[in-house]
Amino acid sequence: MIEIRTATIEPLRNTFDHVARVLGGDKPASRYLEGTLKLQSEANFNYQALWDKEHELYDPSRTAIEMADWYAFIDPRQFHYGSYTNARSRQQEAAESNFDFVEKRDLLRFVDDAARQKMARVLVPLRHYEWGANMNNSFIASFAYGSMLNIPATFHAMDRLGIAQYLTRIGLLLGGVETVDAGKDAWLNDPAWQGLRKVTEDLFVEKDWFEVFVAQNVVGDGLIYPLVYRHFVQDIGVQGSTVAMLTEFMSDWSDESSKWVDSVIRIAAAESEKNRQQLAIWYKKWKALTLAAVRPIATDLAGVSAETLQNIENALDARAKKLGLEIGGL
Amino acid sequence: MTVNALYPDYQGKVRDAESNFHGGRLLYVAWNRHLMFTNPFAYLVQPDMKFGDFVKTVMAPSFETHPDWAKIDWTKVTWHRKGESFAPDCSKTLKENGLAHKAAIQFSTPGLDGIGGLGI
Amino acid sequence: MSTTKKLGLREKYRLMTRGLGWETTYQPMDKVFPYQSFEGIKIHDWDKWEDPFRLTMDAYWKYQAEKDRKLYAILDAFNQHNGHLNISDARYVNSIKLFLQGITLSEYNAHRGFVHLGRQFRGVGPRVASQMQALDEIRHAQTQIHALSHYNKYFSGFHGFQGMYDRLWYLSVPKSYFEDALTAGPFEFLTAISFSFEYVLTNLIFMPFMSGAAYNGDMATVTFGFSAQSDEARHMTMGLEVIKFMAEQDPDNIPIIQRWMDKWFWRGYRMLVLVAMMMDYMLPKKVMSWSEAWEMYFEQAGGALFEDLARYGFRMPKYADVSVKEKDRYSHEAWAALYHYGAAAGLHTWIPTSEEMEWMAEKYPNSFEQFYKPRLDYWDEQQKAGKRMYCASLPQLCQVCQIPAWFTEPDDPTQLCHRETEYKGETYHFCSDGCCDIFKGEPEKYIQARLPTHQIYQGNCGGASIEEVLKWSGIEVGHDNLDYLGSDDQKNWERWKHQTAVEKKIA
Repeated sequence: MIEIRTATIEPLRNTFDHVARVLGGDKPASRYLEGTLKLQSEANFNYQALWDKEHELYDPSRTAIEMADWYAFIDPRQFHYGSYTNARSRQQEAAESNFDFVEKRDLLRFVDDAARQKMARVLVPLRHYEWGANMNNSFIASFAYGSMLNIPATFHAMDRLGIAQYLTRIGLLLGGVETVDAGKDAWLNDPAWQGLRKVTEDLFVEKDWFEVFVAQNVVGDGLIYPLVYRHFVQDIGVQGSTVAMLTEFMSDWSDESSKWVDSVIRIAAAESEKNRQQLAIWYKKWKALTLAAVRPIATDLAGVSAETLQNIENALDARAKKLGLEIGGL
Repeated sequence: MTVNALYPDYQGKVRDAESNFHGGRLLYVAWNRHLMFTNPFAYLVQPDMKFGDFVKTVMAPSFETHPDWAKIDWTKVTWHRKGESFAPDCSKTLKENGLAHKAAIQFSTPGLDGIGGLGI
Repeated sequence: MSTTKKLGLREKYRLMTRGLGWETTYQPMDKVFPYQSFEGIKIHDWDKWEDPFRLTMDAYWKYQAEKDRKLYAILDAFNQHNGHLNISDARYVNSIKLFLQGITLSEYNAHRGFVHLGRQFRGVGPRVASQMQALDEIRHAQTQIHALSHYNKYFSGFHGFQGMYDRLWYLSVPKSYFEDALTAGPFEFLTAISFSFEYVLTNLIFMPFMSGAAYNGDMATVTFGFSAQSDEARHMTMGLEVIKFMAEQDPDNIPIIQRWMDKWFWRGYRMLVLVAMMMDYMLPKKVMSWSEAWEMYFEQAGGALFEDLARYGFRMPKYADVSVKEKDRYSHEAWAALYHYGAAAGLHTWIPTSEEMEWMAEKYPNSFEQFYKPRLDYWDEQQKAGKRMYCASLPQLCQVCQIPAWFTEPDDPTQLCHRETEYKGETYHFCSDGCCDIFKGEPEKYIQARLPTHQIYQGNCGGASIEEVLKWSGIEVGHDNLDYLGSDDQKNWERWKHQTAVEKKIA
């Protein structure tokens, strides 16, 4: 083995020009930055899209939010594909052993029918909520300006597909295909779910991807996740420990990914008063709609008290306020 | 054919309209059997430039690195445009010679067949 | 649970993917999926889509993370041990400069196309498949950047790849290709990228670059390339499924798809001229010639594919015969043009060594010594006499492929090929019948082409002088461009090799 003394092979530079410009000089850069900065074309587009008369192929005016620099959105997790799949792979290993544990010991045997039905009624239809969230985040990923936002939005979309699949597995564990089918039927027909389905479908036709981000990732998830994966799972009592195991992925994921969601809002809000106001308008609009939609799920299906739901709402308001949104009434 | 789009009457922007060239226009020139110049050249020219001046002041700097250039007998040169022969008048302007925006012309130099007579 | 066990893999996967979707009722489906019908493709039953692969997300994360852990372990070791010193010759590095400049951000563009389809396709099955490919394309762009990041530290031509993609003249070839696909409708995008590119032509990118890297001692590129191979296998399967699915849905789809196949075969083939040139000229150690690769991967494999597709009523793409006529000249014409525009390139060019020319004479017995060697020999003499050919006149570009019009007549390799047409009183020029036909199919689209030569003349490229334009394009003049002989790369390489040899002696 020949060891070449590194002193004799001095590098000519540390990083790429566009990364150095962001770092304020030629310095060693992380894989996150080299792999994420400015991958999207910014100029000299050739053709008008056959499916969009109004915009360039990549166009910052697809949202009302304005940024001087769309690369200000540093992901606090600094995920590039390698670190992202690595993190999820560890989580899925834990999830797999949890599912194994529950299956092998047949732990759901100890859950009484009433609790089992309650779990099925709440958790199984949520696979469609997750699929809606996948569609909304795919929408965000396809129209968000710049690779700094579009890449984590893609990860977020895929996460939602993964969660929808875990919920499907929970449905299968709880009662096989019939239970999964019943969950879909509830999503489509049970009055308790119709509000949430309507909000989800209404988001499918929204045009402003940042508004969809606020409605889905801040408001929708900000209400659903604490409601289901914290309160419902805890409130279901001793039997909840099994459910808690099966939904550990979701609660861990929510804790982690909300850091990214928050950073996006914080950075956009700090940019300008105009952004701040716009974000608050969206927040209030979608909170009112989503809260009304979530209420029957909380009270009729999950057995979560009105007071708890109020606490969840208050916590979300406090979070939004901390991110810079002026929402009043606090 | 029309473009099949989501919205009616898909219309593209004519990116290279003459009006975008600040009074100039485009003229393309290729020298047949001289592939040392691997492709035709694109020139931005003033329409009121004399054709003779175009050859001397615009084409020459491009082509004179070729040893054949100095040997050209200009009385024998033939010109082509759209596959037909074309007889430019050197004392007339490009415009008067009918060279509209984005015209492409080729010239042949009989007896001069490139390096080693190989069309290079 | 017994119920779970009864579920077959196929059923389970359907439950995990298309079972998640539903027909919307609060908003009409046509509004939720607005891009579905304008291209004229008729889909009667989305459920007939056969999933080309069955990967749930947990399995995807697991496999992909494993592959990436291995990949980064090798890259870390490569960087630590100055792996770049093991390559065959520093000229080799120019092939991966071309890769980073032309392909990496195209992978990102492909990602954007697939993530768009991942939302917009009405069928859940193809939507999920598109999403996974969208995620894979992020992987490809990022692992390429990460693998080549080390080379950037030691060689010229890598540092400005990001700015170059939007600005440097020859990169408008891949840029306009991908923008053409991205601005098309969803079914055309799939025909363009999944089928024509991934299925029919991808081997002609993968094999030259990855085997080229292996032959030339570039472990970093070999590693990301082979790591991407299993992703590519999924993408190829999807490419074929897309065509079969559309074809089986309605006979009216056939002529539309055939038109796209014609267009995207020719678009892709023209873009591959950059690869042809890289294979024959830029690899110090050759893998196979462009002509051999074209025979193997297109004439034979592609031929068999289209024979198979004939049962749907498809035929070979139009002008496939021209590509066969061009195979003995494709790389030579391209390299000559790049050499002669060597002052304006973001990489180095050179005259091949005499051994390399012997290899070319052997591989191209009917063309190299007749047409191309004499030109190289003449340039070589000129260069030795201190008159290295640097053409300063801007090239005429093809309105569709945006390549300088350097291609010759299909039946006469000594005569430049030139086609022109008029549309709404404007004249347009093309390198070939293939490109001219594409224009005539959708003139309103291609009149928008942003041809670098014309943009420079319109004053949109940083200035009027070549130096200003190059600087604007991201090139460090005198470092990234010009001949390999006398370049920084050459000097550094020789210094490092010398140093290594000395250290070896001491050791």
